Amino acid sequence: MRGRLLVVLFVACFFAGCTSIDCPVKNTVYTVCDIYDGYGNLFKLEDTMYVFTTRKNGSDTLIYNAGVGKSSFTLPIGYSNPEDTLYFVFVNTDYAAKDTVLIKKENYPHFESVDCSASFFHRLTGVRSSRHAIDSIRITKDFVDYDASTAHFHIYFTPRH
Amino acid sequence: MMPRQHISTSTLRLAISLLLVMVSAVSLQAQKLKLFRLEKDSIPMLRGFQVSFDLFGFGQLQLSDYGQYEGAFRLNLHDQWFPIVEVGYGKANHDHDEVTGISYKTSAPYFRVGVDFNLLKKKHSSNRLYGGFRYAFTSYKVDLWRQDFPDPVWQWDTGFGVFNESCSQHWLEAVVGVDAKVFGPFHLGWSVRYKRRLAHQDGVMGKTWYVPGYGTWGDTRLGGSFNVMIDI
Repeated sequence: MRGRLLVVLFVACFFAGCTSIDCPVKNTVYTVCDIYDGYGNLFKLEDTMYVFTTRKNGSDTLIYNAGVGKSSFTLPIGYSNPEDTLYFVFVNTDYAAKDTVLIKKENYPHFESVDCSASFFHRLTGVRSSRHAIDSIRITKDFVDYDASTAHFHIYFTPRH
Repeated sequence: MMPRQHISTSTLRLAISLLLVMVSAVSLQAQKLKLFRLEKDSIPMLRGFQVSFDLFGFGQLQLSDYGQYEGAFRLNLHDQWFPIVEVGYGKANHDHDEVTGISYKTSAPYFRVGVDFNLLKKKHSSNRLYGGFRYAFTSYKVDLWRQDFPDPVWQWDTGFGVFNESCSQHWLEAVVGVDAKVFGPFHLGWSVRYKRRLAHQDGVMGKTWYVPGYGTWGDTRLGGSFNVMIDI
């Protein structure tokens, strides 16, 4: 009885002395966009798609490169801007179009532990766009966190696409 | 807003825990109940008091960036039952983590109330083996910040932090411990504790790190204490 008790106490002390870094494995925050045709059906975009944005110093930076045949894709979201401005460019052999998309949001600092990197979660409050290749964009999930399993935006394209 | 644990979830968890305890208590067989019955002998019911101080939390505070000062007052009922109140003051000052750059600061009092039971057959010996439980609560404020850093895509400087964020936590502890008489009224002892959160309010940041009296959240549910005790 006494021996068993000592073993139990040793194991308990052993585990009490252990520490670990407990950060989530999925620790990136992205928006997920699904692509729909003019009739509301999920479809694969045949054009080559690029997405740009403008940095603090005024230079453009590519945040999505040469996507072809995609029906869903992810985009980064600004940590602290109240509104992100994205430029979608669609290129085909005989066609090129550019749309500007503005995403309004609220930003929330998110903390896991002092061992885990600082991150931000977001609440999407509005989206608007020009209407060249894109017909409309709808917010389908307004909270953006580590969960990228469901789409935040449904992007509807004009019938030509 | 960020997803939070609903209070109904915590209440439900508490209700289920209490129900399980009640069901377990009812299902105890008569001979097991004997263990907890006061022994009939000439020893008086009220045997005295004991105060104790935890050296483990104190050492933790000296050697790391968090820890606590803690004392306890324990009543001795017939050397069998020991109602106890533990009161402490927990502190954390984690300044500029060398990897993440995050700083975390909090300090607040906490308390635990509960009861210990002497598990030894010879109840009236000067050494004891305890089993018991505690209910604990703390209300604390957190300062949490990081130096401005550039957004990796847009490059705008981004602030990260909250100050004086109000948080609170209720939790339960199961305790196993020993108490050995050294000389006169002085005893030394230690305890191992298994902790479960009942309800918690972590503020707008989503989570907290060091909770006064509970320790750091996430790495382990086990804790311990090393006590110096004085019989009164």
